[in-house]
Formats: sequence, C-alpha cells, structure tokens
Amino acid sequence: MRTGWLKSVSKYSWIGYTAARSEWAYSAANVSRIIFMATVLYVFMRLWSVVYEGAGVERLGGLTEKQMLWYLVATESIIMSMPRLWYEVDHEVRTGAVAVQLIRPLSYIGAHFGRSTGERLVRFAINLVMGSLIATLFAGPIAFSLSGLAMFAMVLPMAFIIDFFGAMLVGLCAFWLESTQGIALIYSRLMMLLGGLMVPLEVYPDSVQPILRALPFAAILNAPGRMLVAPTFALFVQCLGLQALCLVVYGFGVFALHRYALRRVFVNGG
Amino acid sequence: MIRSLFDYLRLAATYVRFNLKAHLEYRGAFFSQVVSMFINDGAWVIFWILFFKRFPVLHGWTITDVITLWAVVTAGFGLAFGIMGNAFQLATLIAQGEIDVWLLQPRAVLPHMLLGRSAPSAWGDALFGFVVYLGFVRPDWPRMLAFIFLSLIVGVVFIGFAVLCGSLSFFMGHAGALADQWRNALISFSTYPPTLFQGAVKVLLYTVIPAGFVSYLPVQTLRSMSAVDGLLCVGGALLVLAAGVSAFYWGLRRYESGNLVSMNG
Repeated sequence: MRTGWLKSVSKYSWIGYTAARSEWAYSAANVSRIIFMATVLYVFMRLWSVVYEGAGVERLGGLTEKQMLWYLVATESIIMSMPRLWYEVDHEVRTGAVAVQLIRPLSYIGAHFGRSTGERLVRFAINLVMGSLIATLFAGPIAFSLSGLAMFAMVLPMAFIIDFFGAMLVGLCAFWLESTQGIALIYSRLMMLLGGLMVPLEVYPDSVQPILRALPFAAILNAPGRMLVAPTFALFVQCLGLQALCLVVYGFGVFALHRYALRRVFVNGG
Repeated sequence: MIRSLFDYLRLAATYVRFNLKAHLEYRGAFFSQVVSMFINDGAWVIFWILFFKRFPVLHGWTITDVITLWAVVTAGFGLAFGIMGNAFQLATLIAQGEIDVWLLQPRAVLPHMLLGRSAPSAWGDALFGFVVYLGFVRPDWPRMLAFIFLSLIVGVVFIGFAVLCGSLSFFMGHAGALADQWRNALISFSTYPPTLFQGAVKVLLYTVIPAGFVSYLPVQTLRSMSAVDGLLCVGGALLVLAAGVSAFYWGLRRYESGNLVSMNG
C-alpha cells in the first residue's frame, strides 16, 4: 500500500521533472518573458514613483516605494509563471486527445498537475531571479527577514495549487462550451484586478477590502506578495486559513466537474 | 488614384462582410470572444477608476483622460485587427512561406493579404472603445467625429507597426516571438498615461515603440481640438505605415515559397 503511494508520487514527479527540463530548453520563450516582465516592472516603477511623489507620503498601503516594486516582482513572477493549462485542456477536449489521455495508467488531473508544476517552477525561478535583479537595479534592495522568507516559501506552493485548480476549472468548461478562451480571459482579468496583481489590496478603498481579502484571487497573489515584502505572523495565519479554505473548495470543484465531464466523453473509434 | 482607392475600400468592405459571416458560423465562440474582450477592457478601466479614486491626478492626467486613452486605443486596435486580422499572423505567414496565394492575385499583395482574416476578439475592443467613450466621456458632436477619425488613425499606426514587426521574418527567419514582443510593448506603453515617461524613454515612444502616436497625441487632440495636434497624429501614423510597407516590399524580394498546397476558402 505504502509502496503504491510512493510509486504514484514518483510517477507524477517524473512527469514534472520532464516538463521542467523541456521548459528550460526553450530559452527564446524565457528571454521573451523576461523582456516583457522588465517592461511591466519599468512602467509600474514609473507609475508608483509619480504616485508617491504626488501623494507626498512615505508609505501607501503600508508599503514603501521600494517595497511596492518588490511586491510587483513577486506577483508578476507568480502570474507570468502559470502555463496555459486551460488552453491545453480545452485543446485536448476539442480534438478528442482527452480519450488517449484517459486510457493511460495516470490520473488525468494528476498528470496535468505534474506537468504544469514542473513548467511553472522553472518559469517562476527565472522570473523571480530576473525580477529581483531588475528591482535591485531600478529601486534598490529591501531588507528580507529569514522568518518572512520562510512564510513566503510556505504560502507560495499553496498559491500555485489553488491557481492550478482555478485554471483546470476553466479548461474543463470545454466539455460544455464552444471555446473557453473567453472565460479564461475574464478569469485572468479578475485575478489581475481582484487579486492585487499591480496594486496591493491595502491600497483599494476600505469598503471593498474585506470582500477582496475573502476571494481566492487574494490567496494566489496578494498573500505571497505581502509575505515577501512585509510579513507578519498574524497575516501569515490569515493567509494560510484563506488558502486552506480555497484549496478545499476549488479542489472539490475540480474533482466534481471532472467526474461529471467524463460522462460526456463518447468514443466512436477511429 | 481616387478610383483605385474606392475600389480597395469596396474590397475591404466585401472582406469584412465575408469574414464576419465566417465567424458567425460559430456564433457561440465568436460572441463569447467579443464579450470577453469587452469585459477584459472593462476590467482595466475599473482598475483605473479605483486608482484615480485614491490618487485623483497623475502628472496632470485625470480619469477622463485615461478613459479617453483607453477608448481611442481599443477602438483603433479593434478596427485595425477586426478588418486586417492577418497583420497579427504576418511573421508566421512569411516564415512558413504561406503568402503564395496572395502573390497570384490581381491586387496589391499587402493590403489584400492583411484583409484575408479578421480577429474576432478585436470586434470586442472596437465596441468597447466606442461605448466607453460615448458613455463615460459624453462628447459633443465635433469631439465624437474627431474620435472616430482618430480611431482610424490609431488603427493605421497599429497596422503599420504590425507589418513592420512581421516583416522581420523576411530577414531573420521566424520572427514570430520578436514581433509579438514588440507589438506587446507598443500596447503596454500606449495604455498608460505617457506623462509617466521622461528622457530617453520618451524618445523611444515616438520612434522604436511609437506609443506616442497611439496614446498621447490622439488624447491631446481630443482635449485641445487643435488641428496642429491632429496633423501630427496623421503625420506620425503615415510615417509608421510607410516604414512598415517599405520593410514588407523590401523583404518580399527575399521571400521563398513554402510550396504548400492549401485551399483558401
């Protein structure tokens, strides 16, 4: 029993490892992502620089100007590391390739999880290293504490898993819709707007903050971002609680939708 | 000359009609892309509204200016790629030797090829631009007419720039990724208030990444209703278009067919 469980973990780890090596091989795509990230960070560095100057304050939403840029490094690294999982699932459903995936001795969701995590870890590492270099160059370094980095390291994997479930839910909609591109676009914009991608949630009007904090998007972006630049133990506990809840709800959603979707698979041979 | 221009406008109208008919064969997918692009653009405008609620003025720019900026950029982008959607694919078409079919037809290669496809989501952008300008800015008639004209001018900049980027494939092999990056940089820089940028970056925004002609000058024209600003927009757009067209026809001499057998229906 124990050996079987270990074998499963090893199987999906190998899928992840292979995906990571494959991702590493596409240097042109990585360079292009770095250029895009540098552009975004530059634009936002200018935006926040003008805002801090105009407001005449040292802190906004509890963050200094430097911390704000480092917050962006964390959130942009997370958002730009997500593979287009919804597109892969959509493509497999539309072309019928999902039938081939289903006869393999692998869990469909597990295999996608291994693959997307492998790709994501490489992308995230590159984004974070290059983003940190750009932030150091543009704004200068900030002080990190060991406990803060440890909290960031604990919150981050949870954020990745919740994000994976979110993208899988969007992709699985392909069983019912002609195209999931529209939903994916809306989902990513909601994430950007409500998750605190470019502006920490603490900068939003006080009236909307409690709602935004309770949404899963905050567990994916705002929580790790804050943990990196301004960690507190109380915030850490609050983030973990929200992430645990999102994990259960999203996870249940994915498994239920997957089971229901499989009833719609018809194999006609060929 | 005038007759030839009208002839091409008729051709463009026919292509738009056919492309829309083709999209409407999959109307669920088409409308979902249009609606989602509309919501996508709306999310950005909501972001800016929330932003300006907290920080009301940004180097002299107000929320009305930013909404005008988004309206003119999305309307111009939408019209450009809704009508000439192949501009998006140009780098790939060249790299894969797929422009043979357009070379054989009794029309100028570039405009004919660009008209061959329509990007469905671009219609969502175009719709958004006009709706948001009418709904939020509530312009008078002269401003509305200027907005329509400037949207077309912005569209010319986008097409010229897309042709310039795509034509790199003639010289570098597959320049798809580079063309995407360059085009994304134009979109990124043109959707933020240009007053954020200074010095060398400002020079870049009127040359290498001509965002100034897409964002700053059109908004300035709509603010001032000045003929000089309008003429600067037109001049900039024609320069970018001329650069793109020259690069394309210069590169076309180096084109090698992919010998693909394909149906163009």
